[in-house]
Amino acid sequence: MNESGATLVSSRGLRKDYGSGEALVRAVDDVDLDLARGETVAVMGPSGCGKSTLLHLLGGLDRPTAGAVWLSGRRIDQLSERALAHLRRHEVGFVFQAFHLMDELTAQENVELPALLAGRSPQEARRRAGQLLEQVGLGDRAGHLPSMLSGGQRQRVAVARALANEPQIVLADEPTGNLDSTATLEVMRLFEALHASGLTLVIATHDERIAATADRLISMRDGAFIDETRLVGGTQGNLADIAGLGG
Amino acid sequence: MGSFLLVCRLGMRDLRHRPAQAILLLIAISAGAATLTLSLAVHGTTDSPYARTRAATNGPDVVATVFQGGSPAGPVASATPGVSNPTAGNDQANAAALAPLTDAPGVVAHSGPFPVTWRLLRTGRTTGSAEVEGRSATTASVDQPRLLQGSWVRPGGVVVEAGFASALDVHVGSLLNLGSISFRVVGTAVTAAIPSYPNTCGQAEGCFLANGVASHDPGLVWATQADVMQLTGTFGPDAYFLNLKLRDAAVAPTFVNRYNASNSPTAPVLVSWQNIQDGDAQTLAKIRTVLLTGSWFLALLALASVTVLVGGRMAEQTRRVGLLKAVGGTPWLVAAVLLFEHVVVGLCAALVGLVVGWLAAPLIDGPAAGLLGAAGAPSVTGTTVAFVAALALGVAIIATLVPAVRAARQSTVAALNDSAPRPRRREWVIRFSTRLPAPLLLGTRLLARRPRRLLLSVLSIAVTTSGLVLVAILIQHATATGWPLGPRLADATTIISVMLVVLAAVNAVFIAWTTALDVRHSAALAQALGATPGQITAGLSGAQLVPALLGALLGIPGGIGIYAAVKSGPGTMTLPSALWFLALIVLTLLVIAVLTTIATRIGARRPVAEVLQAEAA
Amino acid sequence: MQQEVVLALLAKEPAQGYQLRARLGHALGPLGEGMNDGQIYVTLGRLENAGLITRQGAPRTSDGPDRKVYELTPAGHERVSEWLAEVSWPKPDLAEFHLKLIAAAQAGLADPISIVDLQRRELLRRLRDAERAAMAEPEGSDAGLLLEGIALRLQADLRWLAACERSWIGRRKARR
Repeated sequence: MNESGATLVSSRGLRKDYGSGEALVRAVDDVDLDLARGETVAVMGPSGCGKSTLLHLLGGLDRPTAGAVWLSGRRIDQLSERALAHLRRHEVGFVFQAFHLMDELTAQENVELPALLAGRSPQEARRRAGQLLEQVGLGDRAGHLPSMLSGGQRQRVAVARALANEPQIVLADEPTGNLDSTATLEVMRLFEALHASGLTLVIATHDERIAATADRLISMRDGAFIDETRLVGGTQGNLADIAGLGG
Repeated sequence: MGSFLLVCRLGMRDLRHRPAQAILLLIAISAGAATLTLSLAVHGTTDSPYARTRAATNGPDVVATVFQGGSPAGPVASATPGVSNPTAGNDQANAAALAPLTDAPGVVAHSGPFPVTWRLLRTGRTTGSAEVEGRSATTASVDQPRLLQGSWVRPGGVVVEAGFASALDVHVGSLLNLGSISFRVVGTAVTAAIPSYPNTCGQAEGCFLANGVASHDPGLVWATQADVMQLTGTFGPDAYFLNLKLRDAAVAPTFVNRYNASNSPTAPVLVSWQNIQDGDAQTLAKIRTVLLTGSWFLALLALASVTVLVGGRMAEQTRRVGLLKAVGGTPWLVAAVLLFEHVVVGLCAALVGLVVGWLAAPLIDGPAAGLLGAAGAPSVTGTTVAFVAALALGVAIIATLVPAVRAARQSTVAALNDSAPRPRRREWVIRFSTRLPAPLLLGTRLLARRPRRLLLSVLSIAVTTSGLVLVAILIQHATATGWPLGPRLADATTIISVMLVVLAAVNAVFIAWTTALDVRHSAALAQALGATPGQITAGLSGAQLVPALLGALLGIPGGIGIYAAVKSGPGTMTLPSALWFLALIVLTLLVIAVLTTIATRIGARRPVAEVLQAEAA
Repeated sequence: MQQEVVLALLAKEPAQGYQLRARLGHALGPLGEGMNDGQIYVTLGRLENAGLITRQGAPRTSDGPDRKVYELTPAGHERVSEWLAEVSWPKPDLAEFHLKLIAAAQAGLADPISIVDLQRRELLRRLRDAERAAMAEPEGSDAGLLLEGIALRLQADLRWLAACERSWIGRRKARR
């Protein structure tokens, strides 16, 4: 289960219930998962299938009803809120569908916030924020408020923020849910770059385009895993055919 | 009719959906209503009871007292027509000094002189001091106390003044000790010849300081003259009372002034019936002032609390209004629904306030009265009910007026999209907070998003603090002038203070709660970014201390200023010590910090993910 | 290769064979790499027979490049205008797949859901390839736009496949 360095995140028998008795809803049903370092995994499924809940459980934003989650060999489902906050500071970065940027802070101030919360000096936090914004291609918009940025740009700021404390794993919950096609492409490029730099990425999405960029694609329905696909290897057909270029 | 029922249904559903809010609102308005009821009930209760007692007991127009060894507070020196100066240096109270008064011009009847002594009184449970007046079994022509229970004095049997009896909790058949002699209580009665307990020592009769009994407020007890002589022994009575009836009762003050002009310490001291009535009235007047000022304060605080609560949830209200309009409600229907909820709460609060005030009034009014009528049943008249209801409704309506009107006039789409106003960017706050440690960084930024809420917090704390300061000054003043704070006044002050503290607590809870609700989303986000719940609560509580301190600092001069403006008559103001003010500030800060911590903790129990998904920023 | 496409590429100015080839390659990017040279000449031949283009210039030598210059005739120009105004869209092949599933279910030859899953996986792989290619292109390139179109098409098809899966699972449950 925990070969040194190879498996970053794993879960066994993970379960999350809401309500009770007649109104019981099983959001996550007996999920076993192993994630290697540097892997990009996409969790796909229709809305309400539990993929967001699964991500919250993996990232310590919510507690499971049953089962266990390990992160870097450490069990995290029983940790106190304080320890979980520490986790979020150093190991896990989150990207949300609604971006959740603070409206009154500029892009740079938003990105430096996690570093400030973690106790870094203001200068260092600022420097790192500048670096990250460059990395996501928004170096020239550091002083802009979120209201002056497009959807894709806002999500990129959110990704930069998630990277502020050099996490081991980034969990993205429907990162392109609120974006149009062009913005989706922007974010996809960014994820590709992160993947190439060795970051472990888990993306919950119902957008097939994002899902197809992953190494592994897991399908969920009604809280349970129903399918797993490795998208490596060539295609049988020719792209040209789809484009209508076939003879 | 249909739309009225709809309004009712919608309103009731919403109230049931948020019961905690409704209950807090109820408490806030009830406190104000209760105090107003109290003050109105106490208002004007003295005059007629005194007149009634005077008529029933054939009360005197003038009471003259002569003391053993001279009166403690001698009259002003001036020429004295018609009264011979008794020999100075006489140890015994000289009843003869009173004799000329019985024939003075204008006097038509008299009773007495009656011997008087002061003795320590002991019942099985309490100790007090008694002013014992010796009477005969026959009916006096002037001032025959009217029995409320039992029968008149007889050897070994005493009659206790009604107010005194209720304070001591004695009734007919009880045993008590005067000095070292045991007596049985055979009756309770009222009189118009002295102010009722605990102001027996009021007015120029003063209280005899011998026998060390003056540490307690003395009450009046009637016994046979023989029993009084037995109590005083060879020393003789400490004083003599003489009751006079004038041809024209209205000129009693002039009569009194003429005869009080003598500067001999052993000359009789006279008081008019108007003085006595004032003595009674003064306490109640003081109580009335305290209650009235108190109820204004409470009304103000209630208004502040309600505004904080309602105004804080304005965004929610506006969205609801938008929904109603979108499904076909007219602007007036919409405003009606909003008002309905608060009217219901206001009316219930008025009811609660009236009941509480009605129950509490006897504490202050009581057969205290040692006066007739009102015995036990304070007057909660129709006007009182109307007034209190109007106040409660007024507070409720004013607080809802702004959101209701605004919502009714706003376009539907705007209302539906109206989330809480976007927080404005304040450069200096952001730059300043960056240097602070993480918790305070969070707390400052979170609070600075809603400057109007901050202002309201400062104001409500200021109002509360000035109220508490005002009460403290009143107490200080009353005790400093030597006038013992009668139990009734103490009760009134206590009741006001308790209400004020309750309302202050409710207010603080409001502030803490609405603040915690407001920052819930941002706090959840901060948690997702790595802040611990401890950091968030510490930060919010810490940051909240600044407006609390500001409010407390504003409130202290505020309270002093209000007292200075309100108090009648000259005289210096005695302020509580600086230490007390410091203690008040520290206590305020502590309470606010604790409440904010609790509110934030409760808010932090919901899982972060849920909060983030539930609402936008 | 659509004949009208070749015609349209000659509309701006006459061109030699290899220039035409270059124009196509530039517009198609990586998708044009698998293009057969011969296909172009066959198409050109057909167009010449139809009288829509003319050929001028030196005959082809055995070891030299084709120096013939191709040019549109007036009929060719007309055809191009007509074609530009047409609104037919390349026909997707949904009906065939749909019938495949029904036939498989009726004849008991295979589980329709497995067929859907198989097709899904294939389309996902293609989508991945298309997106990889799209991201390799510089921003704003022609080829990039085409690749995005392909990706979006595949996405739409994948959504339909997901609907098929739901529907067939529902049918299976109902039958039980």
